Amino acid sequence: MSAIVTRIVGKYNLNPGMSTSDLSKYTSELLKDLADDRKRNQARRRLRDGFKFSEDQGDQLDCALDLMRRLPPQNMEENLSQLIDLVPHLQDELLNNVDQPLKVQRCKVKGRDYLVSEFNRDGDSCRSPWSNEYEPPSIESPLPSSKLRRLEIAANEAFDTYREMYYEKGVSSAYFWDDTDAFAGAVLFKKVGEDGRKMKGAWDSIHVFRATERGRNAHYKLTSTIMLYTITDREETGKLNLSGSMTRQTEADYPYDEPQAHIANIGRIIEDMELKMRNSLQEVYFGKTRDIVNGLRSVDSLIESRKQAEIQKELVSRLARREKDSNKSPAAKPNRSDT
Amino acid sequence: MAFLNDEKKLEIITKFLLDSPPGEVNDVYNDLRSLMNNPVVFKEGVLTALEQYNTEQFVTVTPPGQEHNVIISKYGQIEPNIFVDPKSHQKFRFDHMQQVATDPEPYEPDEATEPLRAALETAVQNYITDHYPDGIATVYSTQDSTLTIAIVDNKYNPDNFWNGRWRSAWVITPTTGEIKGTVKVNVHYFEDGNVQLNTEKTHDGTVKIDAENPETAAAAIAKYIHKVEDDFQKSLNDAYIELNENTFKELRRALPLTRHKIDWDKIMNYKIGQELAGRE
Repeated sequence: MSAIVTRIVGKYNLNPGMSTSDLSKYTSELLKDLADDRKRNQARRRLRDGFKFSEDQGDQLDCALDLMRRLPPQNMEENLSQLIDLVPHLQDELLNNVDQPLKVQRCKVKGRDYLVSEFNRDGDSCRSPWSNEYEPPSIESPLPSSKLRRLEIAANEAFDTYREMYYEKGVSSAYFWDDTDAFAGAVLFKKVGEDGRKMKGAWDSIHVFRATERGRNAHYKLTSTIMLYTITDREETGKLNLSGSMTRQTEADYPYDEPQAHIANIGRIIEDMELKMRNSLQEVYFGKTRDIVNGLRSVDSLIESRKQAEIQKELVSRLARREKDSNKSPAAKPNRSDT
Repeated sequence: MAFLNDEKKLEIITKFLLDSPPGEVNDVYNDLRSLMNNPVVFKEGVLTALEQYNTEQFVTVTPPGQEHNVIISKYGQIEPNIFVDPKSHQKFRFDHMQQVATDPEPYEPDEATEPLRAALETAVQNYITDHYPDGIATVYSTQDSTLTIAIVDNKYNPDNFWNGRWRSAWVITPTTGEIKGTVKVNVHYFEDGNVQLNTEKTHDGTVKIDAENPETAAAAIAKYIHKVEDDFQKSLNDAYIELNENTFKELRRALPLTRHKIDWDKIMNYKIGQELAGRE
């Protein structure tokens, strides 16, 4: 993909010094050639990031993304759709850059649940990873090459086992797509907790990777987002909603000899990432935010603890002074009445 | 796609501003301003939204010529931008955009409730000093001879990617001893993500009030609120433990039941094993 953009930039001698309106002429020509939505957006991002084109648009997108990082994650789907209503020209970029909670759908052919996301959606149709068919049917929609589809089938089986081992219940889906001199994919997990003690929880993992083959090694770049929702409503605590998302990136090289090795490699990277992120989520959700609450108000008396701190300080300084005195005149020590 | 009219746009902008996390209303405002191309409509509509934000979120200001802070809330609002400082018996003009107070004028307190209000102000201040590191409280005489206590504590630490706010409001009817309140806590943690805590707890109870002695009555009210807020905070801490130990753990294990990470080269064998187990 990047190759196409680079080529067009070279062909028309585009440069960052040109005005936005001049550039946009070429941009539309470029975008017309790129049927696939994802590729089109990757191209836009590349144009912006790599060549610093369309600064206004870029600034606006930054503001829109900054806004999404501040608005309550509890209503993120509503916030995103309203933000798109405000700035419809940023719709594609926003949908591409903001992760949304995953939806569960039942595959009509195989009778098995799968996850719906931007990675398997085309217009109003979604591709099932189990049947490789769009529901409702959509003839023009993109499919992975048959070689990549074989890998995708194996990945769905492998990550379903992974899901069973780490999540027990829940749903998993893997979607792969072809990319110039590489392939890319998304591995998704969703688990909704049982409502036992008036406490509810939901976990969504979105792992997006790009794999590039370099001789006997493969290079993997992974961006992972985990959305975690926890909610309780009890008499003593009232309504409590502790929710949000965290994103991390990583890169790794692994040897590969046959195509199947990609799945084991991606599996290892995702497993390590989920372990790390699970720890971070636990620390932030149930450690950091709780510490912040207890820093806003203290159950213990602050006056009392300030007094205690002063007494302690006083004691320490007295001890230090005594230590100093006794070091100065060791001979006088036994005679001192206060020892 | 149908384009929204200005009115509809303002509705969304207002909602976003009111949803600003603690200490981040300026950031949200700046983002929205650069996203909107119609500054006139934006400016006019945004002022009403900011007024609502400031009064709901218990923004504080130092009244002209005073050393203490007063909470901007609907309990002390006379006009959209005129607020009472019950402590100094003044009213002042408040700029919702700049968050500054000007034009102080004398304001006559409600004679009937002032003795209890003043006593409660002292009792609440003692309580705040003892339990809120950066707490600010304002005690108002409110309609129908009620008294209202507003409490706020903010901690902003954007350099370490977090901000937090505790708000509580207590409405007391001295004749019946009825006391109603709400406690709200909001925390935003945003390093590599966006995590927010939003809580809301309401309380309804009664406290014995000695009508003859404002000091005793005030101490009883402050003691009552102290206990309710302590209980709430303790149960909030309990909820944290339970969410962590039950809800979170049930969602995803740290390691599989085997206590080992997955052997990816053998993962297809696990699958076969499971299928065999399923048949038994």
